Amino acid sequence: MPFEFVPPGTHIDFIGKRRITTAISIAVLLAGVIAIPINGVKLGIDFQGGTEVQVLFADQVDAAEGAIRSVIGACGIAAASVVRYGEAEGREFLIRFQEGAVATAEGGGCQLTPEQEQAIERAKLAGGGGGDEGEKGETIDKLAYALGNEIGPLEVERVEFVGPRVGSELRSDGIRSLVVACLLILIYIAFRFTARFAPGAVIALVHDIGITAGIFVIFGLEFDLRVLAALLAILGYSLNDTIIIYDRIRENMALRTKFDLVDVLNQSVNQTLARTVLTSGTTMVAVLALWLLGGEVIRPFAIAMAIGIVVGTYSSIFIASPTLLFLERRFAGASTGAAPEAAASSRREAPPRRDASAIKPKRNKKRRS
Amino acid sequence: MSLRWRAIWVVATVVLFGYYALANFASEEARIDSPLLPDNDLRLGLDLRGGIHWVIGVKLGATEEHELSFLKGLLEDELERENVVVGKIDIVDQKLRVETFTNEARAAVRDWIGDSDQIVEVGSDPELVTLELSDLRREQVREQGMSQVLEVLRRRIDDPMKGIPDSVVTQQGDDRVLVQIPGGSVDRTRAREMLRVTGFLEFKIVLDTAPTEELLRDKYPDGVLPEDTTIAFERDKETDRVLAAYLVRKEADLTGDYLTDARPGFDNQQRPQVDFSFNPAGGELFQALTEANIEERLAIILDDRVYSAPTIRSRIATRGTISGRFTVDEASDLSVILRAGSLSVPVVIEEERTVGPALGADSIRQGVTAMVVGLAAIVLFMTFYYRLSGLYACVALVVNLLLLVGVMSMFEATLTLPGLAGMVLTVGMAVDANVLIFERIREELRAHKTPRAAISTGFNKAFLTIMDANITTLGTAIVLYNYGTGPIKGFAVTLSIGVVTSVFAALVVTRLLFSTYPGDRHVESLSI
Repeated sequence: MPFEFVPPGTHIDFIGKRRITTAISIAVLLAGVIAIPINGVKLGIDFQGGTEVQVLFADQVDAAEGAIRSVIGACGIAAASVVRYGEAEGREFLIRFQEGAVATAEGGGCQLTPEQEQAIERAKLAGGGGGDEGEKGETIDKLAYALGNEIGPLEVERVEFVGPRVGSELRSDGIRSLVVACLLILIYIAFRFTARFAPGAVIALVHDIGITAGIFVIFGLEFDLRVLAALLAILGYSLNDTIIIYDRIRENMALRTKFDLVDVLNQSVNQTLARTVLTSGTTMVAVLALWLLGGEVIRPFAIAMAIGIVVGTYSSIFIASPTLLFLERRFAGASTGAAPEAAASSRREAPPRRDASAIKPKRNKKRRS
Repeated sequence: MSLRWRAIWVVATVVLFGYYALANFASEEARIDSPLLPDNDLRLGLDLRGGIHWVIGVKLGATEEHELSFLKGLLEDELERENVVVGKIDIVDQKLRVETFTNEARAAVRDWIGDSDQIVEVGSDPELVTLELSDLRREQVREQGMSQVLEVLRRRIDDPMKGIPDSVVTQQGDDRVLVQIPGGSVDRTRAREMLRVTGFLEFKIVLDTAPTEELLRDKYPDGVLPEDTTIAFERDKETDRVLAAYLVRKEADLTGDYLTDARPGFDNQQRPQVDFSFNPAGGELFQALTEANIEERLAIILDDRVYSAPTIRSRIATRGTISGRFTVDEASDLSVILRAGSLSVPVVIEEERTVGPALGADSIRQGVTAMVVGLAAIVLFMTFYYRLSGLYACVALVVNLLLLVGVMSMFEATLTLPGLAGMVLTVGMAVDANVLIFERIREELRAHKTPRAAISTGFNKAFLTIMDANITTLGTAIVLYNYGTGPIKGFAVTLSIGVVTSVFAALVVTRLLFSTYPGDRHVESLSI
């Protein structure tokens, strides 16, 4: 016998638990919303502007956050955050500060050699200036020189600077991209299935994004471009799951003339359960590998993805199908009906195949048992 | 299609892309030397190979104000000539405001505007005539500002001969320039020097000229140039070939510091020319220089490169023209060069993403480790769970990776760190199509189908589902591509190509493997 996680004939009443699962989802979503005023939504520099500098001190240097902070302060940057980063035995630090934190004064306490001063002077960008649109790039250079002079040799591994204008553009574009993706999905599902299937899929997607984002807020994790990319990938992933179940529902509806929708939904979810578990498993394995081995820079992406895979799998089973049921009962007026079935079968590209109808009695028997 | 042809077709595809994918592992020298290896390869994003990514904001408002101040000068001249008295003329918020206390003054200003298509009157304060650039003119001025900034940055950074290899300077939107300097070998402070938009403009009297350096040197005994002189070259813009060599003094006769403006214009016969103006100090120097060198040629040199060497026809003071057999485009190019050496269009760094080469190398190592570990875990699991069929899925998975890297190499797509993450994700998700098919086959087998019938039904039934599921993923990837900047775009690229290759691998490659076993044989059970 083949090895199986989900033995054949498994019949779990997923749909029957819809009240509990809906309550759980709403509770988690609410927790996310409540956490917003308490924890605040933490935005990375991508979305609110700011500077991030990752530095690695040389082997023998004994660097401490406090010392780094005082050098930064002397260079005229207030309210910078300094944290140890990475695995390089505490010699790697991440320094972050907001654009507004840079004092307009020269920051006289910044210890630079005359050559360094000259180099910075030569590279001064003509005209314009910092302020509300961007910076001239000197702040980071001065800081790097001063840290090198006062603490020890270092390498600037990474510099990310996002001006306020770019930050707000990325923010609004990011939200727009999520909305556009949802709309496209709505249209595609309405076109490939029936219009009745579409809201369930989109509600499931909004649910996934909402809960993943909510968990980020609850745990005080930061939103940045990487997380946004993960959210969009989650959209694709969760939709994948939902469509596979929907396809089964449509197929099962087309197989019979009269059916109980709850039964069809349950049957479809159960039939695809093995696949759902397996694919979530393999994707999770890949994402966990990324989380644990992929390095600091990509970790936020992996964390968001991991949460999204769990939530997306859950929503395809417990949210998308019950929504379909809810809408059918609400708007089609009955739990059993020929109308959705007719619509579904007319949309099918190919008529039900002979072999498919041949197994129909068997399936029905299985369902009754 | 017969099985044989299908097999040939699939193997050919895999070999072709596999060849492109594996060629990436060959060293650069080997690729150049060997005629067998392809020239196309996978490009690494700046976040993996290290480098500076800058989005430069160009403050075009400043160029508008400069244009207004030019017009202000013309207006002042005009009013002086007409003996009209007005109050203060100033420029506020890209508007030219003229205080007019009398109706005559107002009339004179309006008269001067006339039916100009460059300037329009806005506002209705009786004591104040407020003027603004017309939409058409504003558009032109902004475009000029952009082309000036691009001209200077391109020449310094992505010039094929003198710039930094593989660097890129492109316009982004209306008022931004994207600068990408790869390698991480260029120090940030030094790189920023290159962003100073003002070029170094010099005017030098041409002492002697020849088509090439050799011919010029031949004119002097032993090829030794006279003291304090040097050779400046005029080169073809595209090919960098030397067009002419000029003998000039080492010291500039005049620098661009004195230049206040340059713009294309027309002479009284409507031939294109370039009009320029100096500030008063520069005017005096220029007058002396031109007076002493009438009928000599004056080389206009920007950043050590001769752009033009017109002959001086008459004494020129603050305002002069450069005429020659210009086309309109050439006149406009030359004025861009001159302005590039005089006006500074203010720029700011609006976005920066700089990664050192060490961190980039770390990222590659970590990303590849994650991929190998993920791949190994999935291969073990799939073979355990689906046995021989699982092994087929693993072959498809490896083929999928080969195709993905091969397609990206062939099209020279850029692999970024998020792109690498996308690849790892693809490894995890790609088996989905095979899982769908295998689960279907198992279902069919449970329904007492023969193995062959089960395989064919399984593939057929899973086909539409797989298509639906992947088209939507492709859709979100495309949205991401349109939205994303830099590295994130790389994620969208690998994700979308990965979707296509994984569908091919699952549907075509696995199917082919099932055709070899069990194929036409009558087997009692499938290894699934």
